[in-house]
Parts: sequence; structure tokens; C-alpha cells
Amino acid sequence: MSIDVKMAWRNIWRNPRRTMLTICAIAFASLLLVFMLSFQFGSYETMINTSVKIHTGHLQIHAHEYLKKKSIRQVVSEPQEIAHLLQTIPKIEAYTFRGQAFSLISSKERTYGVAVTGIDPEREATVSRLKSSVREGEFLAESDKDQALVGKLLAKNLHITPGDEVTLLGQGRDGSIAATVVSVKGIYSSGIDEIDRASIHIPLKTFQEIYAMGNAIHEAVIIVESLSDVDAIKRSLNVKLQSQNPDNPLTAVDWEELMPGLRQSIEMDLVSGLIFYLLLIIVVAFSILNTFLMAIFERTKEFGVLMAIGTTPERLTKVLLIESMTMTSVGTSAGIIIGSLITIYFQSRGIDISGASDLLSQFGITGRIYPKLSWISAISGPLAVLIITFFAALYPALKIKKMRPVEAMRAV
Amino acid sequence: MVKRFAILLGLGYVSFTMIPVASALDADALVKAGFDYWRGNASIATVIMTIHRPNWEREMTIKAWTRGQKDSLFYIEAPPKDHGNGTLKKGREMWMYNPKVNRIIKIPPSMMSQSWMGSDFSNNDLAKSDSLLIDYEHSFMGTDTHDGKKVYVIKSMPKPNAPVVWGMQKLVIREDLIWLRQEYYDEELTLVKTMTAYEIGMLGGKLFPQKWKMHNVDEADRYTQLTYMSLEFKSSLPDNLFTLTSLRKARR
Repeated sequence: MSIDVKMAWRNIWRNPRRTMLTICAIAFASLLLVFMLSFQFGSYETMINTSVKIHTGHLQIHAHEYLKKKSIRQVVSEPQEIAHLLQTIPKIEAYTFRGQAFSLISSKERTYGVAVTGIDPEREATVSRLKSSVREGEFLAESDKDQALVGKLLAKNLHITPGDEVTLLGQGRDGSIAATVVSVKGIYSSGIDEIDRASIHIPLKTFQEIYAMGNAIHEAVIIVESLSDVDAIKRSLNVKLQSQNPDNPLTAVDWEELMPGLRQSIEMDLVSGLIFYLLLIIVVAFSILNTFLMAIFERTKEFGVLMAIGTTPERLTKVLLIESMTMTSVGTSAGIIIGSLITIYFQSRGIDISGASDLLSQFGITGRIYPKLSWISAISGPLAVLIITFFAALYPALKIKKMRPVEAMRAV
Repeated sequence: MVKRFAILLGLGYVSFTMIPVASALDADALVKAGFDYWRGNASIATVIMTIHRPNWEREMTIKAWTRGQKDSLFYIEAPPKDHGNGTLKKGREMWMYNPKVNRIIKIPPSMMSQSWMGSDFSNNDLAKSDSLLIDYEHSFMGTDTHDGKKVYVIKSMPKPNAPVVWGMQKLVIREDLIWLRQEYYDEELTLVKTMTAYEIGMLGGKLFPQKWKMHNVDEADRYTQLTYMSLEFKSSLPDNLFTLTSLRKARR
């Protein structure tokens, strides 16, 4: 051990209580950063995965520009071809086909405008949570015709319960008038008010019949195995769709395009999170700065003597930096380790947030959030602490260069 | 807003030859007279509605009864698939009837801005047709000529607090009361859509445009055209024609 390190080590333990407090502050900040970042990333993934399971799926295949206009005429005319294509792509967990139309829905008393979705009951259950969100009555069965699932708020507005009949009036694909009477089989509550207030689901076959769709559909909805696969699958799908029909290709779009609001709220949350972390780091930096300024004032006389007997200011600076960096490294390492342990604990158990469910249900989160520890969440926060404390420690350390030995020795 | 308004006014004066408007003629009266000429006391008409879109077109034959400024009844006669679908408009309320499900549906207020039967006419255009007379104040903007006849350009601004759809309308009415054009502007006073009448000829015993075309600004290949096949003006039509029972009867 060189003499510098030895000196630094002794200086660290000159005031053990102060040192421990500083290390604890750094460790606590690092720990908090590791856990909070993991929690944030975890909640985003939970949010995305729960949101896509409400309705949209991770990916959808549409006719070109369908998302912009949502016209009933923009169809996927050969869903069988898409089915074959999707079966050849690995990592796709499930898919289903849907038809979408806008219609008037009318009970005996009232009329509203709603989005009518034609679903394949069996496949739909593997893609979305629709089946499990049926609160009254039952989910559609494969053989059902002229039956419908209605959103809870819509059912309330229309004054209907399972078994009642409602009339649908809209426009078919060929421009003709589409009208039918369906009986309510179930009532669902997805947790998203817009969906519960303005949507109904009917069997795809009934949908195709009413809206003169023939065999066509509007969207193929895909759930992939892991969120991180979405990009790659989207790219390969688009290439294959292009080669299938080069003139007027279908397009695959991902959840970010399907739910731009979700992406934006995640970004907003991340920014406000970053501001909080920055404040946290600055507070820690000031506490470090304080510790080292104290150390210098306390030891001015000592530095004067050391310089008088020939120690260069550079060497003293080095000693001081070794002191500060040792404390910071110990602090951040402890923070990373403890933070990771806590995160791993909650990663397996989840954090119950049912108390805040009203607020979070608008993001589609109900029940538990699982933090997600990753290299980024474990390292980036503590690394920022390390860098900022280094600069905080540099300032007092550089002050030594300005010291004059004679004056320093006279200092109290 | 004021500035924009001034520019618009200015434009109006530049584009239409500036002849001092006969102040004796009242703009309100002209609009009212034009509207009455157009609708008559009561009328029975057969109209072909053509909905044109960039890659498809659809035609419907509609039989229409109107009475006064407020009541109308429409039936689709062709294509056969839609035969018997009806719309009743009474005051500011609208109902639709579908023979297949044999139900009458009242159009809710939230749906009034949606298109009627997929056309470029909104439910509001039908239901609030008389809103122009009630909710707007009319003033002359200028004059022009059309087929050797004098044409009045009228600016219609909504009255304060009137429940209106449009921020401004511009009407072009010929001196013999033929309605040539109606332009719809939004609250920012930008043009949204235009209804133009042309092919003026004898119809129902008086001069009347045989074709009406509604199209959105900047979308030349998206429009809805009404072609009058027959038109008969009546002094009156019975009350029981404009009822829900009558709507349900699906008159052939």
C-alpha cells in the first residue's frame, strides 16, 4: 500500500461518524435510484402489456392507412393468407381477426353511437382480456349468432341487462344500410371508460354478414411473447406483407402507433422521474461537497505543515480525491447491492397497488406492479452519483493548490 | 379575428363587382323568400343521390316529402337492398327507420354531426336546415350576374348565443330567388364545404336547379350530388304524413 493510500485511509477514519453518514447518504441515494428506476421500467412494461391486452395487441395488420381514416372500406380482404403468414413467424404468442364499424345502437329508450367490433370468440380470448372482463352474463361462444357483449357504462346508459335486445344501425362496406337486432349476452368492464362507454362486440361471422364484409376483416391483432420482440417482428412482417402484395401492401403497426397516448404518458412520467432523480443527486453532491470542505478547513494547518516539509499540492489533491472516491465507491456499491436485493425481492413478489387503482386504472393497471431489474436500472443511477460526487469533491481538492504553506500553518 | 374578418370582407368586395347594394331590399327578406321558393309550401320529390369517392361511387334513389321549413320525410327506393329505409325530420329531431329490423331509432344529439347515409350531408344539415333563417343575421356582401340576372351575395353570421353549427355561411341567391350556392364556414371563418346548384330548368312548374352538389373544400373527387328526377309543389301535405307511424309504414 502506497503512502498516499495509507494517508487517505487514515484520514477517512479521522472522523468515523462523519464518514459513515456520508457513505450512508451516497448508498441511500444509489439504492433509491436503483429501485425507483427498476420500478419505473417495470411499471412501464406492466402498463404496456396490460394495455395491449385490453384491446389493441402488440401489433396489428391493417390495410394501408387504415389507422388514419378507419373507413369500413379499408379491409384486409384475404385473412387466410395473413393467418398462414403469422403461423410461419416464431415468437408470436397469439393472433385474432376483427372487424370494426361505427354504428348507432339503440335500446327501447335510448340511442348512442358506438364502435362495433366483430370478434372470433375463441381466438379473442387468447389475445385480449375481454373474456375475463365480462362481469355479467357470459362471453360469446363459437356458435353464437346475433349475440353481443356490451360495455358496462354503455349498458347502464342504454338501461339494458343480459338477455335484452338492442338494434344496430350503421353502414355496410358497400355503402348499404346495415341493420340488425342482437341480444345482449354479456356485459364487460375493461377499466377504460372510453371502451366501456362506446363499444360493443359481436361474433365476427355476424359482423361480416351485417356489414356486407364477405370474408374480409379490418385488423389482425397479434400478441408476441416478449415486448422486446415487437420491433423485430414488425419489421419482418412488413417485409413479408410487401412481398405478398407489392402494389398495395398491408401494413403492420405496433402498440406505439396504436396507442400514442400511452407512449406519451410514459415519456412524460420518465421526464418527471428524471427531474426527481437529478434533485436527489444534487442533494447528495452538496452533502459530499460539505464533507470535503469541512475536511479542508479542519486540516488547513496540517496541509501547511505537509507542504512546508516538501509535499507537493498535487500529491495532497490526490490524497483527498482518493479519500472521496473511496467513500463514494463504497457508498454506491453498497447502494447497488442493497438496491438490487430489494428490487429482486419485489420483482418476484410484486407490489400491491390496489389502493391506487382508480388513478392507475386509466392506464390499464390493476393489481400488482413488478419492478424490473436491468443493467440500465442497476448501473445508470449510481454511475451518475459517482460522476457528480467526483466533481463535487474536485472543487475542494483543487483549492489546496492555492494554499500558501506559511499562511496555512498559521490558520486555526 | 377582427383582422381576418376585415380581410375576408375585403376579398368579398374585390371578387364581386362593387355595386352599391339597394338598401331598400332587405337581406333577411331575400333569404326567407329564397328559402321558401326552394322548399315551397310543401313538395314531393324523387331524387337520385350520388355519393362519389375516389375509388367508388354509389347511387340511391330517394323519395322525399317536405312541408314548410321544418318537416321532411325521406325514403330510399333503390338500391333494392336498402329499399324502405326512412328518415323523418320534424322540427330539430330526426328518426330513422329500418324495415329489416322493423325499428325506429331516434338520432341522438351526439350523432347529429355524423354523415347522413354515408353522404357529405350531415344529419345537422338536414335537421337544422331552417337554422339559417332563425339563428343567423344576414347582410349583403355584393352582387354579381348569372345568366343575365342579378345575383346577391349574402353573408350570414350567427346571432349571439345561437346554437349553430357554422361560424358563417355565405349565400348566393339570384334575383328570381333561385338559390345558387351556399358556403359553410367554421368558427375560424375558413371554408369547410360548399353546396352548389346548377342545371336550372323548369321543374315542378317553376325554375329550379336540377342538380345540387355538396363537396368539402379541396376534395374534388369526394362529393355528394342530388339530381331531381321529379318535383311537385303542393299547397299542403297532411299532418299524419310526418309522424312516426307514417315512417314505419314504409310507403312504397
